Formats: sequence, C-alpha cells, structure tokens
Amino acid sequence: MTVSASSTQLPLKHLRRGKVREVYEVDEGRLLLVASDRVSAFDVVMRERIPFKGAVLTQLTAWWLHQLEGVVRHHMISADAEEIVALVPGLQAHRETMAGRAMLCRRTQVFPVECVVRGYLSGSAWKEYRATGTLAGEQLPPGLQESSRFEQPIFSPATKAEVGHDENITFARMSDTIGAGAAAELRRLSLLVYTQGRDIAAGRGIIIADTKFEFGADREGQITLIDEVLTPDSSRFWPADRYAPGGSQPSFDKQPLRDYLDAERRAGRWNGEAPPPPLPDEVVSATSARYLDAYRRITGHTLKTEST
Amino acid sequence: MSPSSGETYSSPLAERYASRAMLELWSPRTRYGQWRRLWLALAEGEKSLGIPISNDAIDQMRQHLDDIDLGAVAAYERRLRHDVMAHIRAFADVAPAAGPFIHLGATSAYVTDNADLILMRRGLQLLRAKIIRVLRALGAFAREWRDEPTLGSTHLQPAQPTTVGKRATLWMQDLVIDLGEIDYRIDALPCRGVKGTTGTQASFLALFEGDHEKVRQLDRHVAQAIGFKTSIPVSGQTYTRKLDAQVLSTVAGIAASTAKFASDLRILQSVGEIEEPFEEEQVGSSAMAYKRNPMRCERINSLARFVSSLEPNANQTHSVQFLERTLDDSANRRLVIPESFLATDAILVLMENVVCGLEVHPARILRRLSDELPFMATEELIVHAVRAGGDRQHAHERIRQASIAASRALKDGAARNDMLERLAADPEFGMSIDDMQRTLDPHRFVGRAPQQVDEFLNEIVEPLIGRGGGDDHSDEVRV
Repeated sequence: MTVSASSTQLPLKHLRRGKVREVYEVDEGRLLLVASDRVSAFDVVMRERIPFKGAVLTQLTAWWLHQLEGVVRHHMISADAEEIVALVPGLQAHRETMAGRAMLCRRTQVFPVECVVRGYLSGSAWKEYRATGTLAGEQLPPGLQESSRFEQPIFSPATKAEVGHDENITFARMSDTIGAGAAAELRRLSLLVYTQGRDIAAGRGIIIADTKFEFGADREGQITLIDEVLTPDSSRFWPADRYAPGGSQPSFDKQPLRDYLDAERRAGRWNGEAPPPPLPDEVVSATSARYLDAYRRITGHTLKTEST
Repeated sequence: MSPSSGETYSSPLAERYASRAMLELWSPRTRYGQWRRLWLALAEGEKSLGIPISNDAIDQMRQHLDDIDLGAVAAYERRLRHDVMAHIRAFADVAPAAGPFIHLGATSAYVTDNADLILMRRGLQLLRAKIIRVLRALGAFAREWRDEPTLGSTHLQPAQPTTVGKRATLWMQDLVIDLGEIDYRIDALPCRGVKGTTGTQASFLALFEGDHEKVRQLDRHVAQAIGFKTSIPVSGQTYTRKLDAQVLSTVAGIAASTAKFASDLRILQSVGEIEEPFEEEQVGSSAMAYKRNPMRCERINSLARFVSSLEPNANQTHSVQFLERTLDDSANRRLVIPESFLATDAILVLMENVVCGLEVHPARILRRLSDELPFMATEELIVHAVRAGGDRQHAHERIRQASIAASRALKDGAARNDMLERLAADPEFGMSIDDMQRTLDPHRFVGRAPQQVDEFLNEIVEPLIGRGGGDDHSDEVRV
C-alpha cells in the first residue's frame, strides 16, 4: 500500500507549495522536494490523485540526472528515501511519505528565468508563430505547420510568472536580467541537455516536443541544473507512433484525462474552470498507467512501486 | 558533478565511483556542521545545568549551524595553526553572544570524535539503504529464475544441479547477514560524549564546582541531543579506536560479500551462462574487438580488495594508541574511514547496476548441464537396472566404463555426452535409451531449490526490505 501524497506533513520548514510539489528547507544548504500525486489539466488542479505520479516525476528526474553526470552540474544529493533518512535523521518517521517522491537537493540561488527549449512548434510558440512568424521575437522560416519539427532545437526563455502564465522573452532581455555570460551558459546547457534527452527518448517511442529547465548558482557560484528534468510535467511528451504534424498532438501522459474533460465540457457538464468535475476511476488509472509507462520506456526499468 | 580540471591529483572515489549521498556525508561541510551542532548541544546542556549562557547565545548558535564561511575558517587556521580553534573563532564571529561560551570545558576531541561517530553511523545507514536496493534487485532475479536448473559446482568442478535463483539466494544471504551486522553495529555504537582532555572529565567537574551528578547529566544530555543511546562509559582523550576497527570490519564484511558475488559472476560469464550488462557502444578490448569483459564485476573485486586491506589498518591504529592517546591515528583515520565507506558505497552502486542488467542464457546453461547430467543420473540408473532384474555390482562397473569413455570423448571433441547410448547398446545393462532419457529431466535433480528460494524470499528477505520501496532508478555507473 502506498500512501497517495495529497499533502505531505514533514517536520521541516515549508517554503513553497507548487501546483504539484512541496518544497521544504532542510537547512541552510539543502532542500527537500516532494512531488505529490496531484495532477492539473487545462490549468485546473484535479481533486483526485494519480497513483505513482509523484514517484514517476522524482525518479525520472533522478534517472536523467544520473545520465547527465559529468555533463552538467546538478543539485540532487539523493532520491532514495532510506538514504535521505540517513542524511537527515529527523525524517526517520516519514520514510513512507517520502518513498519514491522525495529528492534531497543542494540549495542554489535560482536564476529568475525559465529555460525553455523547443524541438517542435507547439503551444504558445505556435500561437506566436501563427500571428507574427516569429518565436521569442526571432524570425522563423515561413510555411511551418503546427507541431513541425525544427531543424535545430530553439532556446526560448520565459519569465517566471508568480501568477498566471510565463511570458516568453527574447534572449537579449534574458541577458539583461541575469548577465550575458550566465545567459549564454544557460542556453548552451539547456540545448545540450534537451538534445541528449530528446535523442534517448526518441529511440524509446516518446517525442519530447519541448521542455523547461531551471538553473541556479551553487555556493561556489557554479551553474547548476535544478528542479525537475525532462519529466512529463516539465515537458510535452508525445507518442512517437502517432506523430502527425499539421495539428496538435496527443499527450503521452495526460491524453486520457484531457479526452475525458473535453467530453465533459462538450456535454455542458463542466465550464472549464475550477472546481473540476470528479474523475472516474478508469480515467485515474489510465493516467497513472501512462505515467508509469513513460518511466518504463525511458529508463528501461519498471518503477518498483507498481508491484507492491 | 563537473569534471575536474585535470591539473592535480583527485581521488577516483570522488571523481568516478562513489554516490553523491556518500560524498556529501564525508564532505567538510557536513563534518563542520556537526561540530557546530555539538557546540550547540554542549552549550544547551551547560545552560540547563546552571551555567549562565543567554538565550541569545543559544539562538545565535542555532541560526548559524550550516552557513559556515570556510574562507574565514581558513584565514583563522593560517594564523592559529589549529583547525578546531579556527572553527570556534569563525562560529563566534557569527554568534557573538555565544562567543565567550563556545567549547566551554571541552577538548578538541569533543567535536572531532563525536562527529566521527555520527558520520560513521550515518555512513552505515547509507550503506544499509544501498544493500536494501541490491537485495530488492537480487530478490526479483531469484524469483524469476527460481526453478531454472543449472549445473552446480564444488571444487570448481561439475556437481549436482541447483537453480539459477537458488544460487542468487546465496549471494543475498551474505548481504542479509551484513544487514544484521550493520543494525547491531549502529545500535551498539556509543558517542564519545563529554570526557575532557584525558577522559577524567576534570574540566567539567571544575565547571560544575565538584558536582559529579551534573557532569554525568551533561554527558547524557549531549548523547541524547546527538541521537545516541549511550555515551562510552570510559575514555582517554579519544574514544577507543577499537570502535573504528569494529565499524570498518562491518564495512569490509559487506565488501567481501559483494566480492564473492562478483567472482561468481565472472566465472559464470567465462562459461557464457550469465553476463553482466554491456552497453551497446561499450568496447571490451582495444585490441580484441570481439571481447565482452566482465569489467563491472572486476571493478567490484578491485574495490573490495581495497576495502579489505583497510580493515586491518584500523586494528593497527587502535593498537598503537599509547596511554590516553597519541596523534598518530589522525592522518590515517582521515583516509581510511571515509575511503572504506566511499569505496563500499561505489561497490554497491555497481552491484545494483550489474544485478538489474544481468543477462541469463538458458540455452547455454542447459547445454552445459546436459553434458554432465548423464553422470549425475548414474546412481539412479543403477537402481533402475537392479529393479529391472540386473546385478548392482555389474551395473556399477558398466557405468564406470561407459562414463569414463564418454567423458574422454567429450574432452577429445565429441559434440555431446553419449554415455546413455553406450549403456543402451549394452544388452546386459537391461535398460532402453528411452527409459534412461526419462531420468534426465534436469528439474528432477534440483531438490528443494525452487522451494528454498520462495521460503528464503518470503520468510527472510521480505520482512527485511519491506514492501514500501518506491524508487527504482539506480545510480549511474560510469564505465
């Protein structure tokens, strides 16, 4: 039996609650990130929890960070609850709450920029392109379709909005905000990590259409990859076998949920705003299965929670 | 971690092998963070026993447990030539109200020794977490192959069959025993507590104006504050280095268990039965392009031998601690203790990686088994021959001759073991080839091996590793 993390109560200072994650302070130098099983769609957080979703997000991030060892400095110390307890004995009684979904991290000074990399023309980028033929203010070749693959992935930074949607900004504006040197390095690392991740996932049936990275500066001032990395929540995952440019693509992970909500909307049973309609069990378990499948495909391993 | 610049020596344990969690544990920051916590525990204890330390002092200490300015410490150390004093001064700079009280009554070993014990205990806990991951992976492997017959081996010679899964339980059991040892060691490990320069607690007796009970209370308070059940009953300036030797013996025991696994796997890979994972682009040999070497297991053996070599070192250090202490433990322990933990941590990362990617080749296993099975079946054949009306001594002699001939033929290049054909061709033996073949189903030779796997996993392993789990990724092995 695995506890479904709707909210987590840990004996640590609670710093932030994100849509799906809690951030705790362990001490001056370390944070504990706990991903919950909450899910949102169309900007509305559902009432139901998606079993194992938090564990998938955390363990997938951990897996990617291990692949990137030696490529980019990162903030993870451990994503193993037993190890975390060994390093932070105060959490001893909370092993089960943390199991799978907690990550002990080094704390950094966060750069106030979302480092978005796009390999495909989708979402807000498609909207901008359709209106002005540009992306992040830069001209793109004419005649691209929705969901077209770019020859080269494009770095398109955004501001971190406290409320509402992040706003796409130009690289020049990013450089003004954080300095030209840091901006260039964040762009280089974002493109490098995305490209490596895209290639690995592509061989395993998942298109990572775009993704969002966050970076911080560690105590020594070194640029460090933080937050979640190449997960379904920080990226658009598309099933490769159904890829067809010229329209929007199905989501690898959230499609069952979106299909259900769309149907509810069309039937006039939901107005598209909170509170969301209740989700049937089949939708919850289908969504859970998608997340687990994404984990299994990318890492080649089964998430251990499944069999327990 | 970023690759190092390559200008100077760097430890391969840190650069290549050990996990982030273990590296973090043995970092200067973790150690000095413990020193500050120890100073806080001491001050709180002294305050509660009547020493006039202000709330401000305690609050300031508590607010600055981890923001250690290592630059400031280094500057003090250059002037003072004393690491503990340098840290006291740097702590006092950020907690000025506590300045007059930090380290009151204590000697350096109060922070250095107690911190070492805290770190070793946490190191054991980290290794414990890694062993559990390995046991989970091996448990899944053992269950999957619980009834796959395979040739047994004694004296590194063919012996009665066992199963692939049963063999895995032998590796697991060693680690289960190590887990028990870790748990005992963690439980039995005392802290050094508050003992003073030669262990007599004289400075604390003076601080509490001759009140023996208060000195004992302070010792207990510190033990409790840093999470230990007990403080060591008596000590010199330092806790007896026998404790280090015991801890490193526990750690070396883990390394030995993993080395036995790795050696076994190298043997199995040499006969092509089971292989460690091999990446698609991995190169086995720069010259021999076809080679697929068991390099991960070789690395486990390599590191395990290093860990084994450190165990006697700790006993030697203990044996030369003259009288109440000498300092010839210091530089040695600084290397031996962390490196034992880091190397064993690295080994367990490797082992989990190997176990998760083991490739079993049942056809190859069956092939080797088939070559030997007719010999394994000989006792049963004698019984059958007698039941069919034959003479036991006669049957034994026939089998002896046929088996020697078949064995020689195999060694001289025969494609398969033809002992049964030789016997069937002998009318006096009195059994048809079909009758004899029926005795050769390999599953008939594995005894209770599959059941032993089930019993071992269900009764011994499951209660230990729990069902909760949750994480599956393994630390990446840098090949």
